[in-house]
Amino acid sequence: MEGRLANSWRLTVNDKNFIKTALLSEIRIDGRKPFEYRKISIKFGRQVLASFINVSITEPTFTHLKSMFIGILVRENVCTYIVLIIMVIYREDGSSEVQLGQTRVMGMVTAQLVQPYRDRPKEGILSIFTEFSPMADPSFEPGRPGELAVELGRIVDRGLRESRAVDTESLCILAGKFVWAIRIDLHILDNGGNLVDAANIAALAALLTFRRPECSLGGEDGQEVIVHPPEIREPLPLTVHHLPIAISFGFFSNESILVIDPTHNEEAVMGGRMTTTVNANGDICAIQKSGGEGVPRRVIMQCLQLATSKAASITKQIKDAVRLFSSKIVF
Amino acid sequence: MENKQSSSPASFVDSTVVPGDVVLDLSSMTNQTIKLGGGLRQDCDAISAMKAGTLRFSKPNKYWIESSQKRYVPCVEDTILGIVVDSKADNFLIDIKGPAMGFLPVLAFEGGTRRNIPKFEVGTLLYLRVVKSNFGMNPELSCTDASGKAAEFGPLKDGYMFETSTGLSRKLLSSPACPVLEALGKKLSFEIAVGLNGRVWVNAASPDTIVVVANAIMNSECLSGAQQIIMVDHLLKNIQ
Repeated sequence: MEGRLANSWRLTVNDKNFIKTALLSEIRIDGRKPFEYRKISIKFGRQVLASFINVSITEPTFTHLKSMFIGILVRENVCTYIVLIIMVIYREDGSSEVQLGQTRVMGMVTAQLVQPYRDRPKEGILSIFTEFSPMADPSFEPGRPGELAVELGRIVDRGLRESRAVDTESLCILAGKFVWAIRIDLHILDNGGNLVDAANIAALAALLTFRRPECSLGGEDGQEVIVHPPEIREPLPLTVHHLPIAISFGFFSNESILVIDPTHNEEAVMGGRMTTTVNANGDICAIQKSGGEGVPRRVIMQCLQLATSKAASITKQIKDAVRLFSSKIVF
Repeated sequence: MENKQSSSPASFVDSTVVPGDVVLDLSSMTNQTIKLGGGLRQDCDAISAMKAGTLRFSKPNKYWIESSQKRYVPCVEDTILGIVVDSKADNFLIDIKGPAMGFLPVLAFEGGTRRNIPKFEVGTLLYLRVVKSNFGMNPELSCTDASGKAAEFGPLKDGYMFETSTGLSRKLLSSPACPVLEALGKKLSFEIAVGLNGRVWVNAASPDTIVVVANAIMNSECLSGAQQIIMVDHLLKNIQ
């Protein structure tokens, strides 16, 4: 029992009261205003391959390479060897890491050729898996996904699927036989509050950079699927029609206080939360209001207005990051 | 390594040590009593380091290893901030950010008897002293100083508590005063309690002062003294 006590994270009475009283004068503990979002940073996966070559400095052919060397091996205080380090940096498609304040989420997209569902023979499959590691927060238990993990997966899934953000029909290769199954893995690396929004951004960023190998039909009867390796034919990006952005709000019981993007301290105090998924055009893709206090209609309308304006700026941020990543190889 | 330290035993003070380094040799320092702090262990005559960090020495005879981490390893005579998790018949269970729960005996208060056991609700913040920290046992805490007086120990009312690394909390307690606290103290009035387990409690008259102080301290972790002063000046200009 003590082990479980030691693993749960707890808030002091002082902090609970302080968060509430500070909010009455519109102050949040990290110095934000109630309707201010935390800073988002989006990074993408890179693979670095380094190889080391030892060359003797006395060899005349290599002396002109001096401007290239990075490391020098010193032996007996005489520079006899140059170590050439050749670094090749590959872009790793379909992986992203999003940092929202202290929260960190990694997204990873992979694809597989599978048989489609019977009732939808012409549609590709999109599925989302979440992984809540105990390293992110000691209260996450390893193994079975908790309530929060399921809810997070469902919100991200609903935002993407119900709004038809990803074109699943273009993932079909041979109706009824072969379609691409896109799998999005979301790993929570650090819990600083508002995991849903961070996970959603990570999923979108990973989807935008993901490229699947090109396929064509061949063989004698034209029913054989040939998957072209990326070296032979350039892989294809997914068709993403729009970006459904999840924006979370926290409600505090007294005086009906509303905050956007709650931190984990605020999440422990607040009475209710609502996540709205909207896109930059102002379309509402999904709303999730689970448990807690009731919210009047007026407040929901206010949330939606706030969410729409935030979604526009976040969409721009994601697109800029993706453009920068795909336009050049950055060190 | 062995030869170097035996020739000059004090040479390890204020230098970086790694686990396994023999930092002191007791055979060469007879007739001396020394006190060991966190991160050091004794094997017969050899005092060796158990974690990476800087070896510190304070006169007359105390040695410890200083490092910065998120988890606190309890050590006797440290002053810490703990959160009440549960109360049992004999002990309060206290969360001290360490590997095990701390035990606070219900009688470890000034003039504590069976009749006047204090009542703490779950989540109360306490300023405490570590009394015992033995291997395989839960650390024992106390709300009194060594002479049985309450001193400043006990529950902290109101204010805001935030978590830092153990290294930053040690820096805040160092003398001469940490530049960030000195710079803040010139302009603002606030109350602060720093626990060596990486918890800091701040109280002030208005919530915005608390928020400014808390954020300034959290930002100061990786800044030099001069940078800290610039950062504080910048923050204070923004709020005025």
